[in-house]
Amino acid sequence: MKRGLGFYAAGVYGFLHLPLAILVAFSFNTSRFTVWEGLSLRWYQAVFTDPEMMEAAWNSVVIAVVATVISTAAGTLAAYGLWKRGSRWISGSLYLSLVTPEIVTGISLLAFFQWAFRWLNWQLGLHTVILAHVSFSMAYVAIVVSARLRTLDPALEEAAMDLGATEWRAFRRVTLPALMPGIVAAALLALTISFDDYVITSLVAGVDSQTLPMVIYAMARRGANPSINAISAIIVVVFGALIIVSQRMRDA
Amino acid sequence: MRRRTFLFGALAGSTGCRYDRRPRLNVFNWSAYVAPSTIPNFEREFGVRVRYATYESNEEMLAKVITGNSGWDIVFPTHNRVPPMAAMGLLSPLDHRRLTNLGNLEPAFRAPAWDPELRWGVPYMWYGTGIAFNRSVMPAPRAWADLWSGRLAGRLTMLDDPEDVLGACLKKLGLPFESTDAGELGRARREAIEQKRLVRAYLNAEVRDQLVAGDVLVAQMWSTTAAQAIYDAPSLDFVFPAEGFPLYADNAVILRESRRQELAHEFVNYLLRPRVSADIVMATRTATANAAGKALLPEAIRTNPALYPPEELMRRGEWPGTLPAAAQRLRDRIWTEIKAA
Amino acid sequence: MRGWFLLPARLWLWLLFLAPLAIVGGYSLLTRGTYGGVELPWTFENYQRTLDPLYGAILLRSVVIAAIATALCLVLAFPLALFIARANERKNLYLNLVILPFWTSFLVRTYAWLFLLRDTGLVNTVLLRLGITSAPLPLLYNDGAVVLGLVYGFLPFMVLPLYATIERMDPALLEAAADLGARPWRTFFRVVVPLARPGIWAGVVLVFIPCLGAYLTPDLLGGGKSVMIGNLVQNQFTTARDWPFGAAISLGLMLIATGALGIVYWRGPKEIL
Repeated sequence: MKRGLGFYAAGVYGFLHLPLAILVAFSFNTSRFTVWEGLSLRWYQAVFTDPEMMEAAWNSVVIAVVATVISTAAGTLAAYGLWKRGSRWISGSLYLSLVTPEIVTGISLLAFFQWAFRWLNWQLGLHTVILAHVSFSMAYVAIVVSARLRTLDPALEEAAMDLGATEWRAFRRVTLPALMPGIVAAALLALTISFDDYVITSLVAGVDSQTLPMVIYAMARRGANPSINAISAIIVVVFGALIIVSQRMRDA
Repeated sequence: MRRRTFLFGALAGSTGCRYDRRPRLNVFNWSAYVAPSTIPNFEREFGVRVRYATYESNEEMLAKVITGNSGWDIVFPTHNRVPPMAAMGLLSPLDHRRLTNLGNLEPAFRAPAWDPELRWGVPYMWYGTGIAFNRSVMPAPRAWADLWSGRLAGRLTMLDDPEDVLGACLKKLGLPFESTDAGELGRARREAIEQKRLVRAYLNAEVRDQLVAGDVLVAQMWSTTAAQAIYDAPSLDFVFPAEGFPLYADNAVILRESRRQELAHEFVNYLLRPRVSADIVMATRTATANAAGKALLPEAIRTNPALYPPEELMRRGEWPGTLPAAAQRLRDRIWTEIKAA
Repeated sequence: MRGWFLLPARLWLWLLFLAPLAIVGGYSLLTRGTYGGVELPWTFENYQRTLDPLYGAILLRSVVIAAIATALCLVLAFPLALFIARANERKNLYLNLVILPFWTSFLVRTYAWLFLLRDTGLVNTVLLRLGITSAPLPLLYNDGAVVLGLVYGFLPFMVLPLYATIERMDPALLEAAADLGARPWRTFFRVVVPLARPGIWAGVVLVFIPCLGAYLTPDLLGGGKSVMIGNLVQNQFTTARDWPFGAAISLGLMLIATGALGIVYWRGPKEIL
């Protein structure tokens, strides 16, 4: 049975990875059609010389980083607060946020922003996208950090407080360091989700805030284009490297 | 920990930073509607920076613009969207004193039915809806009715536009394009739903590449998109159906929310220059409303039947007007039903 | 002091979660503006419309597609989770191999299938070259392609909770079953599966609900023809310009999501948060 399971696993891994491998392979194809004609870097060149794509990539990075910082901080505090005190409302809402379909989150945030803009004289832009990303990342961060929290012993903090530390000090000096791996994992998750998001971002983006997924989507709708293969390959490699590095750091 | 915070803070700060101090203009246009040199030349001549983005449908544009703080300065609605946009207070009246090149327009467009005084928009490009097809694989369709043939199953696309799809169905039934009668629209709806099993997808100009690549054999298409596709793939051809077809004109309008009204007028005036207009047509194969620009075009393009159909053919076309609100809502509801069927 | 920790979460809750939903709720009770937007009067008409059999058909179709995708995910994921749980030294590696595709963009992964299944895509090109087919197969723009895309996208979401539960299973139980004479298949269905139930529920919820509200996959792989609820909602906010109706459908979708979550809460693991 173990042998059979091994073969099966290989099959599923193949299913998961083969399409991506093919995608990357064809990004090096000279021809724009699916007949292999030769090795070429022209599509990568096209990607790097496309100002729209480069700007969108920059926007994506900025949004992802800022949103990750905010949601990791807020989510960690939330998870900690729930661990110590618990709040049915908050944990229930976080759950709900997790399973709400993206399109619903997106239009609700769009409706909220448009309604708020009557008073605020703002427009849709990077800031609205960042807020939206924080909104849906919170739950993911909270879950990952909570999972880590449950492996901790509350007695440690209590001991610190018995020895005279304030609550905040106990948190900072005792719990937080132990929590670090979980926080890093959560931050990485938030970063990926934010960078990757299309549905919600496309709804709340403004004039200046085109992101990479939006550009890719627009190109994909017009038909297959090897430039998409190229940018996809870059994304796969970058994020793949990110995980490997983070795993190494965690094991170290 | 501190270094990290600083770094993130700096990154966050840079989002608000504008190292580029030139004035900005935000232009939202249909895809493939300007030449590669159009925007850079304008930027250079006026010392400004233009943010230029594209859309594929009026609805996509309207959805952004309707809230009144979208951030765009100039958009290009189709002619029958202009009166409602004006009625909703979205548009800024044009200052003709700044539009010195207005005289370059074709006589037909100087006082069009939808805006006789050219108060709200300047006609930009015009086109009709017809049928694009792959000549090497099938005989030329003649009428809308040919798009209901079973042979086309899975290789046919229709426009993702309620007006065009319902219009085609109405014309097929011999009914007026702008019908507001519930009974007639109901019949058109039945036709559309019947056709749906043959339709591969509802796509606008984005189907161009698929036509060229051969994924799609027949498409309900706007004439300019068809001309562009034919330029890339000579085995394609285009025909205006026998039962009748709609004609549209896209207009350059300035949004009331724009804080750069002067610069916006400059841009619209710039688009009206003959050389600029001709360059755009050469690059994009569109039909311009600019007579002076058209005069600069080579013979082959000026007489292209897809772009500039001959007079008798033009007579079978009609310019759809703005429908009353109730009829519009009925059509929108029917469109949802067709899409959901 | 303690409440202070929850302050950011409360801010999030009220500003970025409840307020938007409240506004959507408000929209759902208003009337549509002709060219978009909302206007008075207040009405229940939008909810009445959701009960129309036409939209019931879309809901049914979405449920069926989501259910098939979820079931396929479950069937494919379970043996894989078993495999990873049994592997001793290379557990992390195998887990990472599952997570790796998930870390890359969902859009990219959906596009990969677009690239493969088009008429001029790799699959058809290969089939034509080998002479197996004489004309391109219409592999794209149908429900099958959508299910494939969904399974591909959400498989990792099913593997992880299953793995987590199976890993915590006491191997002694399995040995006991074997000692009592049960053959591997019997052990599997009578012991392993029931014990894995919390993981199954978690995985099912994590996959089914997003699949139900899927937008990108049916849009890109279904050609705008395979309309699921997610597409219908998006449609109302753009082409159909009927925001109130779109809002009503969205709230209906939320109701289903909440209901499903409620069931899991009631039957499944009590603590994830």
